[in-house]
Amino acid sequence: MPLLGCSQVSIDEILFALLAGASLITAVLALLAREIVHTIMWIAILFVSIGLVYFLLEAPFLGVLQLAVYAGAVTILLLFAVMVVKKRIFSREAVTGIGVSSVLLTLALALLMAGNALRVPAGTTGRFYPTGTLSQSLFLDYGGWVILLGFVVLSALVGSVYLAKESRGRHIRAEGE
Amino acid sequence: MIPLADLLIFSGLLFSVGIFGVLTRRNFIMLLISIEIIMNSAILNFIAFAAYSPAGSPLQEVSGQGIAVVLIGLAATEVALGLAIVLALNRIIGSVDVADAMQLKL
Repeated sequence: MPLLGCSQVSIDEILFALLAGASLITAVLALLAREIVHTIMWIAILFVSIGLVYFLLEAPFLGVLQLAVYAGAVTILLLFAVMVVKKRIFSREAVTGIGVSSVLLTLALALLMAGNALRVPAGTTGRFYPTGTLSQSLFLDYGGWVILLGFVVLSALVGSVYLAKESRGRHIRAEGE
Repeated sequence: MIPLADLLIFSGLLFSVGIFGVLTRRNFIMLLISIEIIMNSAILNFIAFAAYSPAGSPLQEVSGQGIAVVLIGLAATEVALGLAIVLALNRIIGSVDVADAMQLKL
């Protein structure tokens, strides 16, 4: 890895190493936690540290968006769903033992990356663009996609309301079974 | 500046952790959380490659961040829909275990 072989390490790289380590540890802890509320707390820490990585990558708007949407909205939505379901949910493991394949995937990925890391272009950019440039790019070049995202969110809103609504016919049929 | 290879390795490891969660957990909410971890690793890739984009006009160089904005919106939408499905499942079959919902009918 370039981080380990480099003789002079910048403060950015040290911060990134700390944040990446914290992210991976919290992600694993989140998946291993027994109670699901603890999982959601770990996942909030994970989202915050990934948002800080975005700040390091000179994307401050994305960092703020990550903090607002992921660490804020998604975490609160998950907590809300857990509170509404109102059961003591323990995350049970599947009995198939298929999780070993993801460990194999990790090893394959590490081998692939270690082999390919030298071929990744190592040029540093160091260019920083203000948020205004991002908004120009979003609304001039990708305006259609932003409008399409609005329609997707709207249709998801309608679908969520339809799914979460107390449907009388379905309820009776489910009770009759 | 953070080396691109380190960013890609970090993103790949995060993706693997998410895949582990998807494969081993049977709780629907845990599945959603794992999918969010996977989405985050993909978004991180877009932002990393935007930071390393070759020289062009400024609007072209930040376009990776624009795609990341759209992806974050899509991920939030997906969580909202997934939680609506969780509520419906809990009401209809009384459980949020995906193994109890294998028949895919009400």
